[in-house]
Amino acid sequence: MSKINQAIYEIQKLDAMAKEDRWMNNLHPLVKLVLTIYYITLTVSFHKYQVEGLLAMCIYPVACFIIGELSIRDALHRLRIVLPLVCIVGVLNPFFDRTPVGAFGGLMITGGMISMLTLMIKGVLTVFASYILIATTSVEGICYAFRLVHVPKIMVTQFLLIYRYMTVLLEETKRMTQAYALRAPGQRGIHISAWGSMVGQLLLRSMDRAQEVYESMCLRGFTGEFPQGKPKKQSRGDVGYLLFWLVLLFVLRTYPVFALIGGLFV
Amino acid sequence: MSHIHLEVEHLNFSYEPQVPILQDISFYAGEQEAIGIVGANGVGKSTLLKLLVGLDLRFTGSIRLEEIPLSRETLPKVREKIGYVFQDSEAQLFMTTVEEDVAFAPRNYGLPEDEVQRRVDKALAKVHIEHLRKKPIYKLSGGEKKLASIATILSMTPDVILMDEPSVALDPKNRRNLIHVLHEFDHLKLIASHDLDFILDTCNRVILMDGGQIVADGAAADILKDEALLEAHGLELPLSLYGKK
Repeated sequence: MSKINQAIYEIQKLDAMAKEDRWMNNLHPLVKLVLTIYYITLTVSFHKYQVEGLLAMCIYPVACFIIGELSIRDALHRLRIVLPLVCIVGVLNPFFDRTPVGAFGGLMITGGMISMLTLMIKGVLTVFASYILIATTSVEGICYAFRLVHVPKIMVTQFLLIYRYMTVLLEETKRMTQAYALRAPGQRGIHISAWGSMVGQLLLRSMDRAQEVYESMCLRGFTGEFPQGKPKKQSRGDVGYLLFWLVLLFVLRTYPVFALIGGLFV
Repeated sequence: MSHIHLEVEHLNFSYEPQVPILQDISFYAGEQEAIGIVGANGVGKSTLLKLLVGLDLRFTGSIRLEEIPLSRETLPKVREKIGYVFQDSEAQLFMTTVEEDVAFAPRNYGLPEDEVQRRVDKALAKVHIEHLRKKPIYKLSGGEKKLASIATILSMTPDVILMDEPSVALDPKNRRNLIHVLHEFDHLKLIASHDLDFILDTCNRVILMDGGQIVADGAAADILKDEALLEAHGLELPLSLYGKK
């Protein structure tokens, strides 16, 4: 499968996954959005040397992967480009912060090493939290939740339209590259001499298509806000789930739970 | 039944002043009429349909739906009454599933969710695609996409239907299905198509266009049997009429 096909397939698969009839998918989108934001805020608020506290925060994504019946393998595959990028954020820390903070075997551990590790864990956990939200909530659901927390209509609509047009752009790219490949047998990629016209055509064609999609929306009463369908009411389960995590994550953030548990055995 | 009619008077349209696309188009389309707009490629059929729903307002002359003149101010009112099926179904379907796409218009018009569901059920049943309800758009075949895009406008319960090349991508069974759907829709229909057999099956009146102008307007049975007229304007007899003269 070509890279473009793969990208389209991934978007479609993620869309389909979010619409599956599973317990976590059926939770109110607002609950999942609030929890994700809350989790990310707590995670990034840890001090740069608080690795053990951060490790305790792994409970949330692990539990969500189990409850949401999500595949960790699929997640790692989908995030294979983002995760390394997130991990290299603190790669220079060991060079700048050489304060010794301990030793492991014969190796001296510096503050820079710890802060690099902390940054990596923070990055990975926040990416996973976002992935859990996307994999269990449709884009329309997320936008609905955004509107419930009064994110401006224009921003939510922009977000939705960009998401929609992303597929339009990819589809056009696929058509053009297929047409090119069929007339350039044995050639790998697109020859540099065709790049200019390909990009120009792609822009014009995707703009045309986007214009048509927009016209179609306007002809069916679109006035700037996507309709959300039946407003989903929050059930007791939704509230219970939210409260459980709010309390647990707060406890994990405030108290060194792992250290306290470890202390019981020393 | 609606009593909606459409009146077009001296309609002119061009993208550039020296290159007219539509010239002095005038016709009256009464309630319940089924009008086929036929002509060779590039004669302005699609452009005419697009102007009728106000997708471009840079025209001169007038377009009136009932007594409402088409203008920027009246666009929402006019569009509520007209359902437009695009030539390219890909452009018409933008939600993730068939059900969501069909529900898009009724929800936009602020209908209660029960009514939205009732309309979705009815529209899907009308084109016999109830089984595609939950199917993601990207998994539909070309013919299914066409039927789904027709369902998206049927859920608006429009008083007028405009269709641009509706029979493209349909297999014989779905084509028959669509013809049946159009026969059941007893309001005004305007269908632009090259498929003269389809027009013969669905329309009682034909407007023949050439060079952005109307060159003939009359009963479908008369115009579509006039081989000389059709050939003079770049068309041929419908296949079903070959050898039946």
